[in-house]
Amino acid sequence: MGKIIAVHSYKGGTGKTLLSVNLAATFVQHGKRVCLMDIDFRAPSLYTLLKMGKVEFWLNDYLNGTCEIDKVLVNLSDRIQSNGKLYVGFANPATEAIREMSSKDRKWEMRALGRLLALRNSILNDNGFDYLIFDTSPGLQYSSINAIVASDLVVVATTFDRSDVDGTKRMLHELYDLFEKKTELVLNKVLNDFSSKAMKEEMQSKIKDIYQVPVLGIVPCFCDVLKAEGGIIFANERKTHPFAKILDEIATKIENNMV
Amino acid sequence: MSKQEALGKKPLQILEKIRENLERLNEKIEVMIELQKHGKKDIQTIPETPLDVMTLLSMPDHLRKTAMTLCKLGRATADEIAQQTHRARAVESAYLNQLVIMGYLKKERKGRKAYFYVDREVQGG
Repeated sequence: MGKIIAVHSYKGGTGKTLLSVNLAATFVQHGKRVCLMDIDFRAPSLYTLLKMGKVEFWLNDYLNGTCEIDKVLVNLSDRIQSNGKLYVGFANPATEAIREMSSKDRKWEMRALGRLLALRNSILNDNGFDYLIFDTSPGLQYSSINAIVASDLVVVATTFDRSDVDGTKRMLHELYDLFEKKTELVLNKVLNDFSSKAMKEEMQSKIKDIYQVPVLGIVPCFCDVLKAEGGIIFANERKTHPFAKILDEIATKIENNMV
Repeated sequence: MSKQEALGKKPLQILEKIRENLERLNEKIEVMIELQKHGKKDIQTIPETPLDVMTLLSMPDHLRKTAMTLCKLGRATADEIAQQTHRARAVESAYLNQLVIMGYLKKERKGRKAYFYVDREVQGG
């Protein structure tokens, strides 16, 4: 049985998309069948990040009920060197589409939730995918909460920024807890030194004390990652880079339900 | 069918009808008990209210669990919901009926079974 993962955060710029893409690529490296979806309809980024050309159908169309999900998914398996499969569903980055998605009413959002919930059958059960990853928009956006409700695991990307810490803590208790969602943290862009095992364990214990949820991974602030400006999938193109190795650890933990 | 067989079947049909009516009565009593337990402030009837995520968030915990489970299953009986939530069937039946009264769910009877569902097609516009 496959798993649906929502990558979410309180604030923007915490590295959700970078984590989503690299986590998807790592699963594919492990030979898994992965479906990655851009649920950030306010600021779509996968289309640009994955340097796509013409896309015929968008996730917007699927949620509007004008096409089925198989029309939306683009097979990008040839971009990853492995036996796994990668299919991606894109959010339409056109300004008109963003405006249209921002003006949906509650009835539309309720139907969108139904269509996201239906993906468990169409993607995981009928098409045998191992993972469906939702790259969401930050905060309490309708589309993000819909994705959270439809998921089995919420991976929360957070930083040590004070407002992010406070907001994330609130969200843990006032959003994920209310929906009884399994939630795990990835602390990103960490500047502290944790080169030794003891320092790493101390840091993990500190984070667990603050948030009271399991820590899936701690990702240091890598200049190489920032310099790449999202143009490199480290899990595929720079497999020996420490960032790719941390993602490998995170993916392995999820695969083995270790957290 | 002989006249004697037909006469013999009639009491059974009457008993079946009585059982159905008792079950319906039981459901209504369960709703009334829940209404008393949680106070009327939680139970406001809003016709055709969309069961979206913001509504789910604002619901009392006990109803949210039932509503979330039904959202995932799409269409279910109180028994099927109870299997998922690990609560008693009678409790789920009462919560589901409350959600129907509140306008979030629809209910449909098929024989002896009552099915609950979210009417996304009509409400989705």
